[in-house]
Amino acid sequence: MPQSKHVYETTFIVNASLDDHQIDAAIEKVKDLILKNEGEIRELVKWGRKRFSYPIKKKNNGFYVVIEFSAPGEVVAKLERHYFLDENILRYLTIVLDKRALNAHTAANLLAAEQPAAEVKTIEAPKPTPEPPAAKVEEKTPAHE
Amino acid sequence: MAMGPRRGRRGTSTQRNASGQARKKRTCRFCDNKETYIDYKSDKRLQRFISEQGRIIPKRITGTCARHQRMLVVAIKRARHLALLPFVSDAVK
Repeated sequence: MPQSKHVYETTFIVNASLDDHQIDAAIEKVKDLILKNEGEIRELVKWGRKRFSYPIKKKNNGFYVVIEFSAPGEVVAKLERHYFLDENILRYLTIVLDKRALNAHTAANLLAAEQPAAEVKTIEAPKPTPEPPAAKVEEKTPAHE
Repeated sequence: MAMGPRRGRRGTSTQRNASGQARKKRTCRFCDNKETYIDYKSDKRLQRFISEQGRIIPKRITGTCARHQRMLVVAIKRARHLALLPFVSDAVK
């Protein structure tokens, strides 16, 4: 490994009053930024429009997107600068996923994959995969978009 | 002066209240499920650990263990930042 890479999870809220293609463009920009800076996107989940618990910039709902990616640390600063400058992004949160979080994540995925399987089994055996094949870009879209 | 066992009024161990009924032992929900990480995105679950006003409920009430309470607090604060949970609920405003 030339550089240490962490796994990050970034959630941001796009202005929901934009058209769908404008929202997609905003997401695309974030994706590009990660990929250009030697990052790999592990998972991209579009939650879709959600109501806020309190108004942000006088708006009551927003379009939530969660991206899980691995990248060198400098990317986070660039990413947050981009979020800051983009007026259509209302809020953002970037966190490091530590080992525990990753294990819980994979366990949850396994559980979702094999629904009827014994629950205890999947929790006790969270696969210790330090670097799973991350090149794959998964796009999950919830039913409502 | 007779004194009963010096325990917190809302401690987690089985104890008797004024009328002599045994209180059920509360356990940490997260320990029960052997959870190692509390996700800020599961706002529905976190809702259980905030009061009607939106305040975080102390662990002496919910029975959450110290370790999970610390994780829970971080998760709730993250969720608040993303407007998944309220800082102050509408009723109070």
